Amino acid sequence: MKQPAYHLRANKAVDRLTLIDVIKRASTLDTHTGEYTYYGFGGPYLEDFRLLYEFYPEIRMISIENNDEIYKRQVFHMPCHSSQLKLKKTEFKSFLDQYDGNNEKSIFWLDYLDLRYAWFDEFMELLTKVSNGSIIKITLRCEPGDYIDKCEVDAGRKKAEFRDEFRELLPHSTSQPPADFAGLAKLLQDMIRIAAQKTLSAIMASQFFPISSFRYADGAGMFSLTGMVCAREDVGKAKHAFGDWHLRNLNWGTPSVIDVPTLSTKERLHLQRRLPCDRYAGRVLRRALGYLIDNDIRRTEGKLRQYADFHRYSPYFMKAVP
Amino acid sequence: MSKSQPKRYEPVNAAPVKSFFVHMLTRDIRLEDAILDLLDNCVDGILRNREEKGAARAKKPYDGFWAEIEFQSDSFTISDNCGGIPWSLHDYAFRMGPRSDRPEGASGSIGVYGIGMKRAIFKMGKRCLISTQNAKDAYDVEIDPDWTNDESDWKIPVRPATTRQPHDGTTVYISDLHGGVAKRFGEDAQAFQRDLEAMVATQYVSIIDKGFRVRINGELIKPRPINIVFDKKAIRGREAIRPYIFKAQSNGVQIFLAVGFTRPIPSQDEVLQEQEEKKYSTLDAGWTILCNDRAVVYCDRTELTGWGEAGVPRYHTQFIAISGIVEFRSDDPAKLPTTTTKRGVDASSPLYLQIKNKMRDGMAIFTSYTNKWKLRPEESRKQIEKGEQLSFEELKAEALHLPLNATKGTVPQGEQFRPSLPLPAKIVPSMRRISFTKRVYDVRKVAEYLFEDPEVDPSDVGEKCFDITLAEAVK
Repeated sequence: MKQPAYHLRANKAVDRLTLIDVIKRASTLDTHTGEYTYYGFGGPYLEDFRLLYEFYPEIRMISIENNDEIYKRQVFHMPCHSSQLKLKKTEFKSFLDQYDGNNEKSIFWLDYLDLRYAWFDEFMELLTKVSNGSIIKITLRCEPGDYIDKCEVDAGRKKAEFRDEFRELLPHSTSQPPADFAGLAKLLQDMIRIAAQKTLSAIMASQFFPISSFRYADGAGMFSLTGMVCAREDVGKAKHAFGDWHLRNLNWGTPSVIDVPTLSTKERLHLQRRLPCDRYAGRVLRRALGYLIDNDIRRTEGKLRQYADFHRYSPYFMKAVP
Repeated sequence: MSKSQPKRYEPVNAAPVKSFFVHMLTRDIRLEDAILDLLDNCVDGILRNREEKGAARAKKPYDGFWAEIEFQSDSFTISDNCGGIPWSLHDYAFRMGPRSDRPEGASGSIGVYGIGMKRAIFKMGKRCLISTQNAKDAYDVEIDPDWTNDESDWKIPVRPATTRQPHDGTTVYISDLHGGVAKRFGEDAQAFQRDLEAMVATQYVSIIDKGFRVRINGELIKPRPINIVFDKKAIRGREAIRPYIFKAQSNGVQIFLAVGFTRPIPSQDEVLQEQEEKKYSTLDAGWTILCNDRAVVYCDRTELTGWGEAGVPRYHTQFIAISGIVEFRSDDPAKLPTTTTKRGVDASSPLYLQIKNKMRDGMAIFTSYTNKWKLRPEESRKQIEKGEQLSFEELKAEALHLPLNATKGTVPQGEQFRPSLPLPAKIVPSMRRISFTKRVYDVRKVAEYLFEDPEVDPSDVGEKCFDITLAEAVK
């Protein structure tokens, strides 16, 4: 089976690294990182587990995978001893039925490749099971092209199917899948918000609030939202922990774009001394380079602004000759 | 005190207690339903208004009328242009419960208990201002917490409106919201609005279809109609996909019933897929019951509407294509088989039980068809796709041209059209269906091997495997 090259996806790598920051800040909320258990769908290379082990070796980890061959590759790619990382060969739904989060703080990354109502269902079920202080990250396919078709009839059918499948969560009965990436990402965020409100309604003791949300495309468009479940009376305090994080989205605002430019190591090292740069980052970095890296000044500065925002999270991909 | 003197007992006070209305009665109803009660009042206002103008029976009786609902964490407002509350009705509109000398409601209304507006107000908040304008009358009625807490004072002050509105109508403004309500209007606003929109789109499907415009926080609500397939081109007397129709009149209630297909019957693969993963097609299946245009039951698939009773199978994904609509219409809303909340059918109503027999009767035709054709869904699809999808009103118009037969042996007596649906020719014995289950991973692997595409439909993979083996076998 073809698997996406997770380890070579620059924007996804940034999204993955932002989770490291979220955990760091969440751990200031009367929580030691060792109290967390991380659950993810790591894929064949267990990339997120590798990263997590690198930053937080004290976090226990559990990988959930149902595919035989991928499971075997995961066994091969274990980044640490099995006392710290358990590989479960099961469907996530079956896992969820058995999961009891009462006695632990959990970090879940529901890293889906496509977009289905069932994923929202699993997200909602998870919300009812995790204990306060738990972090949930959900990633969904967000590709406007899925609902566009040259044939008007087919396009209409695709949109109607979307409306029918997701109508329980659409903000309005007339909502259509937007034709633009930003619009679709916002719609998915609204749907997650409605799912969270339906599951943990305002009369309940716990609440789910967003911490960050991103859209990015290493190929197909993706939307990724990270949030936390906590006691309603503690939401203010919890949000405060992320209050000065430049990537925060604590009030369901517009999802941020991750679109890091491809820069050589030499270019990155050259720009490094000018970072961080809060004001006019695009212009400052463009002048520092002295040339354009895209078609025009506007686009170049846009890309470099992205780099300024995410440079700490941008991976270095290098060729290694064995 | 003399020993022989008996103890005197004062008459007991049996006067109603306000808190009963304010705190207890409101527990019987959900917040969304309380809001729909206010919307019902708007509709009743239209009917009253249209009747005065002699146009209540027009094809689009709600055309030109609107209601707007706005909510936020500290207030709720519903305003309309539906004619307002005439001063002559003030003693009925604001009383807790119906007075026995209450004039009959406008024909076609659904309100009968006289508690909807008050219950809705107390459900939401402690303070309310009702401003209404009807012809020359324009007045404000204000309820505040002092009035609610004062058990001795049942009179609510009324004052003339300070401004004249460009149209007759009513605005209900509720503030000092109860904690739980404020949270739902604030923290849960998106989910609440979605649910309320869905309820209005389904329960007012007929009313909106007939011209009423409803906005919720600025969003115009589109109805979710149920359209039933009707093959208009079929030659009379020939087999064709058409709905079962029943019409009757009983004790001042007019009944119209139609049941049929909304879409082609599902293939076995679709049924399996639907069962494995919650999808969407099931949502529109089942029975919808309208009482004076108001959908009191929407797409029900339980015993309440005859599924799983008296020869009709239990609802199963196999039957996702079957939908039915029953309309009860009466000038006297008390005769309609609906519950006090107007959010359900009175399952013990003799009238409803009689009609339920006809619902089952009609439904059985389509469950039977589905069972007969389920192994040949593609042939069935072609038959169903020959027809047009007609709205309920279009079906009623079409029924005027159908050869209806009297149903003398049933109660209530009426007329019905029993469609003659196509029957499958006897299955050719040389053809057999093969069905088996394999692990997803293995199916994908074989698909990739045979088609170089793991996403190929599993049934195509199975068929190809068979064809290859057959070719080898006959060599």
